[in-house]
Amino acid sequence: MALIEVKQVSKIYNDNSIPVAALNEVTLNIEKEEFTAIVGPSGSGKTTLLNMIGGLDQPTTGTIIINDTDISTYRTDEMINFRLQNIGFVFQAYNLIPVFTARENVEFIMLLQKISKEEREHRAIELLKAVDLEDKIHKKPTELSGGQQQRVAVARALASKPSFVLADEPTANLDSVTANNLLDLMEKLNEENKMTFVFSTHDSRVIERAHRVVTLRDGRIDSDIKQNELVAEQK
Amino acid sequence: MLLALAWKNIWRNKKRSLIILTAIALGLWAGLFSVAISMGVWEATVNATIDRNLSHIQIHTKEFKEEKLISNYIPDGNSILDQIRKDGRIKEVSGRVLIEGMASSPTSSGGVNIVGVNPDRESIVTTISNYIKEGTFFETNKRNPIVVGQKLADKLGLKLGSKIVLTFQNVDTTLTYAAFRIVGIFKTESSIFDQLHLFVNKSDLYPIMESKPIISEIAIRLNSSEELDSVYSTITQKHSSLMAETWKQLAPELEFTYEMLILELEIFLGIILAALLFGITNTMLMSVMDRVREFGVLMAVGMKRIRVFFLILIETFVLSIFGGIIGMGLGAITVWYLSDKGIDLSIFAEGLNAWGMPTQMYPMLPIYFYFVLVIMIIVTAIIAAIYPSIKTIKLRPAEAIRTY
Repeated sequence: MALIEVKQVSKIYNDNSIPVAALNEVTLNIEKEEFTAIVGPSGSGKTTLLNMIGGLDQPTTGTIIINDTDISTYRTDEMINFRLQNIGFVFQAYNLIPVFTARENVEFIMLLQKISKEEREHRAIELLKAVDLEDKIHKKPTELSGGQQQRVAVARALASKPSFVLADEPTANLDSVTANNLLDLMEKLNEENKMTFVFSTHDSRVIERAHRVVTLRDGRIDSDIKQNELVAEQK
Repeated sequence: MLLALAWKNIWRNKKRSLIILTAIALGLWAGLFSVAISMGVWEATVNATIDRNLSHIQIHTKEFKEEKLISNYIPDGNSILDQIRKDGRIKEVSGRVLIEGMASSPTSSGGVNIVGVNPDRESIVTTISNYIKEGTFFETNKRNPIVVGQKLADKLGLKLGSKIVLTFQNVDTTLTYAAFRIVGIFKTESSIFDQLHLFVNKSDLYPIMESKPIISEIAIRLNSSEELDSVYSTITQKHSSLMAETWKQLAPELEFTYEMLILELEIFLGIILAALLFGITNTMLMSVMDRVREFGVLMAVGMKRIRVFFLILIETFVLSIFGGIIGMGLGAITVWYLSDKGIDLSIFAEGLNAWGMPTQMYPMLPIYFYFVLVIMIIVTAIIAAIYPSIKTIKLRPAEAIRTY
């Protein structure tokens, strides 16, 4: 059974009374421990697909099953709770809480999960160590570089012990060195902690490192290639 | 952590928060100070009325209350006076002879209320002797001395030492008259009182009226106004054939004025808080609009809408209460300082005196008003938070993160 099952999902926006299909009957399965990139040009529907998988938006038709649970039927607060327990998010613009320190940002998710103070503090420090930010735990986001903020965001995404992490254009605002460092970190977490990552990106650096690349075009899956197939294709 | 987040969020935009805090604090300070002034004016007016002539409790015959004739005097009044004086809660009692009559000078005449008193007792029961501007309050050996108000003296063209003729009814309803010599001129806060009242020694009246020592009014001064109800209750039980009245019954307009004043002041504070409500709502709305993406992220990562609602409610609440405490603190300090020093309103003396109000005013504010205000601030904060909170929880995380 796949971790994420996207079945015949369509999303139609009715902006200005003109229906626009952002996704068109997309079917996709993502297994545990995968390191998958969803790629495609602007407007191809990759962020929409990521939002559907993350429960941030609801499909017009079709179903999304995560961990054997059909999340398409969830009400708003049930969905929020499901996200809290199952999904970690990393956003393009980091989106840390600016008034909190790095540690508080990581702790906050665990607070929402009602985890004890001692465990919160311990796990937040461990996670920040894991992303090489043990010397920045008391720094606020404005005192951190873009790369450091994104690493805090990764630590935050992992704090709730999610089933998988959704990362929307995580390297878009980073320079090459910082982007590669971040990808190293995510790859390490994937390999050592068996954490599933799903990226939406058009960054070639991410595509090169992905174990599986799903290409969207005009709201449909254009191609779905695994790393070993990619390597074979390049040869 | 929700409280810590709310507190930190308030200070994200220091300038904006300080502006609304200042607005709340100044609004409440101004409101409290205005209320304290109004209450102070009312308190001073009541005290002046009690001190000037009303006293705390008065006793008359029921007939006298219907028709103010000297023939309706209190039977055995002086022994009742002595009985009442023995009560430890009572500071002093004054037996008065009240007669409506006519005062005449060589140039003019007018209707007056002649008040026959024992000067020594009256000086304790009321403060009328403190209002003497010229001469003394019966500290003289002259025959038939009289103390008149400044306004009456001016009207009749009289001065200290002038002769004045009083015409009034005897106990047997025949008219009599007598000449008196002015030994004192008083000026109170009430020009109406000064024009209508004059004081004579009651022992001078009895031979003129060919009467035994009678009294038509017993005026009682208490040691503490807190004892008003209990003393009133004792007197009405012991002297049920007479009519005892507290100052509230004697001057119902003062009680009515107080109730109206409280209502007006609560409405006034309500208007101030309503104005602040729009200010607070606007500030919170700006604060929320600045953080739409952040709220989108918070809801995306698992913060329930009810928690988001409470976060904004706490922010609004803390901001309002913080401003409220500063405003109330400033108000309390100002009232406390001026309640001792007083405010000199002598430049408005003419207008104030026409209404029987003193020119030195001491602001005062009952403690319960602070509690009322705290409740009003809390209600204001909650109402102010509702619109921004609802607007926020209606956000869709995907749109909030993408759009803003």
